[in-house]
Amino acid sequence: MAENKIQSVSKNKKIWQFFWRSWAIQDSWNYERQMNMGFLYGLVPTLDRCYPNENDPEQLEKKKEAYRRHMAFYNCTPQTSAFVLGLSASMEEQYAENTASLNPDSINAMKTSLMGPLSGIGDSFFQGTIRVIAFGLGVSLAQQGSLLGPVLAMVISIIPSVLITWFAAKLGYEGGNAYLQKLQSGNMMDKVMYVCGIVGLMAVGGMVATLIGATTPATFSDGTLVIQDILDSIMPQMIPLALTGAMYALIKKGVKTGWLLVICIVGGIILSSLGILA
Amino acid sequence: MESTLLSAVLVGLVGVFCMLDSRLLGRLNFEQPLIGATLVGLVLGDVQTGLAVGAATELVSMGLVQVGAAVPPDMVLGGIVAAAFACLTGASAETAMTIAIPVAVLGQLLGIVFRSIIVFLGHLADDAIEKGNFKVAYRMHIVWGTVLYSLMYFLPIFVAVYVGTDVVQAVVNMIPDWVTNGLNVASKILTAYGLALLLTMMINKGMTVFLILGFALASYLGLSVTAVSIFAVVLALILMSLKYGDGSGAAMASAGGADPDYDPLEDDDED
Repeated sequence: MAENKIQSVSKNKKIWQFFWRSWAIQDSWNYERQMNMGFLYGLVPTLDRCYPNENDPEQLEKKKEAYRRHMAFYNCTPQTSAFVLGLSASMEEQYAENTASLNPDSINAMKTSLMGPLSGIGDSFFQGTIRVIAFGLGVSLAQQGSLLGPVLAMVISIIPSVLITWFAAKLGYEGGNAYLQKLQSGNMMDKVMYVCGIVGLMAVGGMVATLIGATTPATFSDGTLVIQDILDSIMPQMIPLALTGAMYALIKKGVKTGWLLVICIVGGIILSSLGILA
Repeated sequence: MESTLLSAVLVGLVGVFCMLDSRLLGRLNFEQPLIGATLVGLVLGDVQTGLAVGAATELVSMGLVQVGAAVPPDMVLGGIVAAAFACLTGASAETAMTIAIPVAVLGQLLGIVFRSIIVFLGHLADDAIEKGNFKVAYRMHIVWGTVLYSLMYFLPIFVAVYVGTDVVQAVVNMIPDWVTNGLNVASKILTAYGLALLLTMMINKGMTVFLILGFALASYLGLSVTAVSIFAVVLALILMSLKYGDGSGAAMASAGGADPDYDPLEDDDED
């Protein structure tokens, strides 16, 4: 067996490399293999350390093989990808040290099996919950003309992103397999999804009541009976709720996005001209 | 005309910054209409207009998330261009919204074209690896990917702002009141659409009650979204520990575990 010396570098430096490179993973997102080049880019420092001597034909072949391996289809939330990068790097190092210790196909198998759950959990946390809350708050402040709105939205977005990426990279590299089993056995995924689901839905419920603000200027015959007052006494913000419900039904019916936008704009002009909504 | 050129370049650079957020910074959310439009307001010296257009476009885009390969209308691009028009021509946020939507659809098409072009970079990288040109391979990602995605935002924004401002100004001046009022209502319906779109991704079986609870807290009790979110976090954590048996729940479960047939509600009749 060929002697293979892996160049060493401090563990913290490696983790920061996974950190920054997982954030850059979408830089060449494409239809064919999506984040494939992004994933390879994340592992480039590791692979270059594993196979430093390109003049050795055996090492060169191994290096090409490894580069090719990580050009495979990949798609996952950037923040949680740090975990997959860390875990892949530790597996690549193990394989480079001793080719008999690991079947290299298992690296891509691991990547493929992690993509689904980690992007599910990552997207519902970052896109479905954090983004919704951050920008729900941000918009309500921005509507009052406060610059604090966008600033607050960014602060709420950045803090969890930094923390999760860093710990994901660290956990993935230092013993991803063990943590993974722990995570799955403790139904951690279900718990996070459940909490995100409740918080997200309640926040959206609050937004329906506070951000739409549609009212009706209509009155009964002599103008003494204001319909909006009647509606408010039954349930404030009833019209926004009804509008959201109607749009939800249209989306569920499978009406195309383009048509829905047309319906919103034309419908708005008609309802406004008829004096039904304001 | 010189100031238009400068504005077009500045707004284009704001667009590049927002786009690179999701490319190089793991989508920290600078790539959101609210942020893009506010930054446009800052560089063009009209923060209030930027905020107003940003809030309006953000609400529509709330539900638009890129899931897998499907590219939604690009409301970030729409919001940036609309904010630039509103700042440069003095149009209202509602009027700007009508500019945002066609631009967003254009952005969607451009997104599809560029994401297809990058497929070729992947094949160039494959070839480079075969030849042992490892640097060439990963530069396809970090250099050429960055360049292409930057152009994807810079070009349409620059052209729209540089060429379009006068045209839009003329059109805006002709818009009658009933259209302006109608667009005001339309922007509210669009907000309802954005939230509904978000809900289609979030509502699971048995979870609708939480939506109603959030709505009721805000509509009857007049709580803000912040307050509702805080209550929601607390409630969700309590329910989670009940549902999954953490904390005291776990203690009870393990107490019960000692005797698998133990049932606290069981009558002791047979004794």
